Amino acid sequence: MDFSYSADQEELRDSVRRFLTDKSPLAKVRADIATELGYDQALWQQMSSQLGLPGLHLPEEHDGSGTGLLEPAVVLEEVGRSLTSTPYAAVLFASLAVLHLGSKEWQAELLPGLASGETIATLATIEVASPTGASALATTAQSRGDQVTLTGAKTLVEHGHSADVLLVSAVGDGGATRLYVVQGDAPGLTRTRLDALDLTRPLAEVRLDAVPAVLLGDVDGLDGLVDVVCALLASEMVGGTAACLEMATAYAKDRFQFNRPIGSFQAVKHRLAEMLVALDGARAAAQYAVLAADTGSPELATVAPLAKAEASEAYTFAAGWNIQVHGGVGFTWEQDAHLYFRRAWTDSALYGVPAAQRARLADRLGL
Amino acid sequence: MDIDYPPEAEQYRARVKAFLGEHLPADWAGMGALDEHERERFRLEWRAILAENQMLAVSWPKEYGGAGLTLVEQVVLAEEFAKAGAPVGSENDTFGISMLGNTLIHLGTEEQKQHYLPRILSGEQRWCQGYSEPDAGSDLAGLRTSAVLDGDEWVINGQKTWTSAGHLADHIFVLTRTDADAPKHKGITFLLVPMDQPGVEVRPIRNMAGYALFNEVFFTDARTAAKEVVGGVNDGWRTAMALLGFERGVSATTDAIRFRAEVDRLVALARERGLTGDPRIRERLAWCHSRVEVMRFRGYQALTRSLAGSRPGPEAAISKIIWSEYAQVYTELAMEILGPEALAMTGQRTGGLLQMPEHGTENTARSWVETFMSARAGTIYAGSSQVQRNIIGEQLLGLPKEPRADAGPFRELSRGRA
Repeated sequence: MDFSYSADQEELRDSVRRFLTDKSPLAKVRADIATELGYDQALWQQMSSQLGLPGLHLPEEHDGSGTGLLEPAVVLEEVGRSLTSTPYAAVLFASLAVLHLGSKEWQAELLPGLASGETIATLATIEVASPTGASALATTAQSRGDQVTLTGAKTLVEHGHSADVLLVSAVGDGGATRLYVVQGDAPGLTRTRLDALDLTRPLAEVRLDAVPAVLLGDVDGLDGLVDVVCALLASEMVGGTAACLEMATAYAKDRFQFNRPIGSFQAVKHRLAEMLVALDGARAAAQYAVLAADTGSPELATVAPLAKAEASEAYTFAAGWNIQVHGGVGFTWEQDAHLYFRRAWTDSALYGVPAAQRARLADRLGL
Repeated sequence: MDIDYPPEAEQYRARVKAFLGEHLPADWAGMGALDEHERERFRLEWRAILAENQMLAVSWPKEYGGAGLTLVEQVVLAEEFAKAGAPVGSENDTFGISMLGNTLIHLGTEEQKQHYLPRILSGEQRWCQGYSEPDAGSDLAGLRTSAVLDGDEWVINGQKTWTSAGHLADHIFVLTRTDADAPKHKGITFLLVPMDQPGVEVRPIRNMAGYALFNEVFFTDARTAAKEVVGGVNDGWRTAMALLGFERGVSATTDAIRFRAEVDRLVALARERGLTGDPRIRERLAWCHSRVEVMRFRGYQALTRSLAGSRPGPEAAISKIIWSEYAQVYTELAMEILGPEALAMTGQRTGGLLQMPEHGTENTARSWVETFMSARAGTIYAGSSQVQRNIIGEQLLGLPKEPRADAGPFRELSRGRA
């Protein structure tokens, strides 16, 4: 019984936090996101080559470090705390798709580049009518001989406007939902960066008009992948929730009104306490979900939607109250509170809002 | 990271399961399946079986007659008893064994240990707790029950309230004011007092669910020997805080087990009424499942910390808020599932409850209404949600306290309030 991150994992957390605090403060994130690419390539290179982050969990035979999923969960928590606009999450989720659903050939082809950070791949699964991107898809795959083409539209694709490789979910001739590899410069592909609610992560719409594609692997269904992604997203949200609570707590100790720090008033103190209660529950749920994903436990099917919903509610609650505790200043563009508020509501909706997660949970519990 | 119990704990679990299989009645369906009379009879018989088999006082060292179990063994035992719905002792054992016994073992004199521990264990003495007062609830240190030394005896005057199982007890541990000139936390003494004397009167309080589970206790020139102080004269606040640590006990992983059984009961209730297809009810049932899972995961965290040697601290305030507020929401959902059915109760009375009904309670409208009514107590007793949020804010987040209006000698405060 040791339901906690190990000393090595905590050391990884510390080094990633130090790095991001130093190299990617929010003022820099704001500047990076305003560029056409939406992130700083030099920063990403450092995260990849210096810290080796994108390859942590990938097998050593594909140039990774061969850890389990706990290490990327720790990194993602710090990424969520810092709001860095680099494509860590996008590449992580895409690499897990390749690892779990990809053929041996595609693993050998794609994983080394993903591990080194040289290849940016991203999941293009979500559709307007399919928030999880795993079912009820309108995008189709047509086979003609050896050639496959995809037709349809995807949305909310992280770094979709610039990624080298897109992993697109589509329904094939036999009705099976699978992932297909689409090169970023493929003919028939139209990529448009969206005016996103989230200001710290570029999102794109992707239109496919008979785009040449290759099947990633012959595993049917994306539910398992979506569960792993939801478990990891819960960790990202835990990092953001903690950042909101820390910002609000620091401000409540510092800000004086009525000749007292506002954090001494129970009206403020109790909201901050509730934020910690919510964070604490979300952290436990996210940690358990990541453990279930790491060990391949069947429990993941119920724990992933549960953790995603718990973390979403903790994050949106904390991000909202962080603004309130900051008062008028919290409502300004210059103050960073809205960046977390935007990320909270974005993460909460990605792969399904809490009500949708609980509907999935109810189905899986056999209610 | 893993959630596996150590092999020796699993070996002990097998022994506990074997014990339960051997000693529980063949048709055992939980305390909730017995009527009120059968329950009392079973509780007494069962306590004797536990005592014979070293399954009582599991947290005490062997030299004091306890089972001397390791922490993880205590947890395993509590888990298996919770799953089987078997009581771990009598109503007074919580106070006698878990709270007072452990406190005496750590802070009592050798004479107190020799005298009291065997009597607590044998059931000869049944203990209750004299802490809260009508004017000292959340502000426990504002207590006014006085104790004055008269020769070799303390003379006690005042009133305690919310004394659980006080009507079943013959001894009470009492926090008393022994120096009103000191600041309020510095003039308190922890006394052991026999209740079978003319100066002690117990009056039951009927709660809003209709049950008399707790009492008022009046002291009128009640007496106890001068040596019956635990932890030093005027140093009783420290004793009270130490006892609080034992009160928290090993519930980290058992809350989830007990609330899991309630989710199962709730789902069955919804299913019987054909409501599991209603998307709103489904979502809320899934939410209940989630909250209980969070309790389970937090239990693993707490157990991990305990096994690493750290005692439960202020984070227990988070657990208290989570379970007590959840208890109100899930019972409100039951009320909504029942609808008009809840308004005229059917089924056997629960006998009263403080957290949730006994294992095996019939899934009736009455059981749910009584659980729903009782859930209002959870956010008040053992530190209200407001007190818990102060603890979280001040001790876990480091937020500043409110400016104190109660510094200085206690006497000056009490004059203002008299």
